[in-house]
Amino acid sequence: MKVNHEKCGYCGACVGVCNKLAIELVENIIVIDTEKCNDCKSCMMVCPLNALEE
Amino acid sequence: MRELINNANYDVVVVGAGPGGSMASYYASKNGAKTLLIEKSQEIGEPVRCAEAIPRLEDFGIIPDPQFVRNHIKGGYLIAPNGKKIEVKGGKTDGHVVERKIFDKYLAIRSARAGTKMAVKSRVVGLEHNGDGYDVIISHLGEEYTVKAKIVIAADGVESSVAEMAGLKSKKIPTQVCSCAEYEMTNVKLLDNEMMEFYFGDICPKGYAWIFPKGDTANVGLGVIDKNKKAIDYLNEFIEHPILEGRLKDATPIEFKCGGAPVGGPIEKTVDDNIMVVGDAAGQISPLSGGGIYLSMSCGSMAGEVAAKSIKNNNYSKDALIEYENRWKEKYYDILMAELKYKNVLQKLTENELNALADAMDEKLEEVDVKKIAFKAVKKAPSLLKYFKEII
Repeated sequence: MKVNHEKCGYCGACVGVCNKLAIELVENIIVIDTEKCNDCKSCMMVCPLNALEE
Repeated sequence: MRELINNANYDVVVVGAGPGGSMASYYASKNGAKTLLIEKSQEIGEPVRCAEAIPRLEDFGIIPDPQFVRNHIKGGYLIAPNGKKIEVKGGKTDGHVVERKIFDKYLAIRSARAGTKMAVKSRVVGLEHNGDGYDVIISHLGEEYTVKAKIVIAADGVESSVAEMAGLKSKKIPTQVCSCAEYEMTNVKLLDNEMMEFYFGDICPKGYAWIFPKGDTANVGLGVIDKNKKAIDYLNEFIEHPILEGRLKDATPIEFKCGGAPVGGPIEKTVDDNIMVVGDAAGQISPLSGGGIYLSMSCGSMAGEVAAKSIKNNNYSKDALIEYENRWKEKYYDILMAELKYKNVLQKLTENELNALADAMDEKLEEVDVKKIAFKAVKKAPSLLKYFKEII
């Protein structure tokens, strides 16, 4: 998964559903560890702003 | 600040300076525990992810200070898709809309005045059990520091990473997270300057849209669960929806907020050796309303008290900390599970069924007694029985 920082509202909803602990919110930036990410798309579903992309 | 986190030892380390964390650290400090409160942002209370309505603060011995209170609330209107309004006043609906940025900071300062040390712009990146407690690894301005804690209180909000690092299951199921978007707007024509407005139906599937008065502004937002369409798209449609009868015609946004509300009920385990979980991280949030501040503050207070007591008794094992879980469950578990059931029913209703339900309800209610409402609704509209039989 990738995050589109232009669209992101840095709310952390995606972090809360990531079982792989692959997403972190660092100040106002969502950081995704692509090694840990298993492309389950949970983050995509809860994002209020469509900021997560494959 | 570095000396606070450089190889320092604490009785209690609380992670997250939201209302839950600030209350937990306040009671831990007040009762004699050496306490550190860690906030990863450089500003407490930012970013706001919330509609900012809170119930009465007097239960916590906190005066509703004008520095953070923006509006008194005397109740709300529940509005069906057909426009029928149910007025609810009194009891739990009485409260305030606050400026969360200031409110959260107020609670953090209150905790610091009770003796809590605070580390800001400090992010927990690891948790390692050391036999006697936890080594908490903190990243601050690009450097890593380690502090030792006999007890960790995870109050890191919807992100829920800290408990997970300690092996507790705190991450949420995506279908149980309400996706929220909100404009804070000015020039909003409200139905009543002291009443909240709640809108249900296809404008916001499996959630609701709201307008909350906030002094010179109003929070206009919604929370939705939908795989195909985003909260922001629903919000942009809502602000132009005919049900608002043009009341937002002259309104203009002055702030944007978004967030995720974990409305799937509490997590299974909220304590283990040397750790407790509070607030959104523990799923301590009303599944029905998505309101979590009161619960976080109440459960956070309990966690802080139990932490300090465990320190005094020199026992930080699960057996000692379970008192926290027992206490919060005794007070809130049944309510949360009942609300979860009601929410699951409400989410299944079509617009026609919501309208039938609203038509069966009295136009003015003193409180929301779901059983009574369900009973009356089924009497008037027997087709609703298939949903309400479990509740009645």
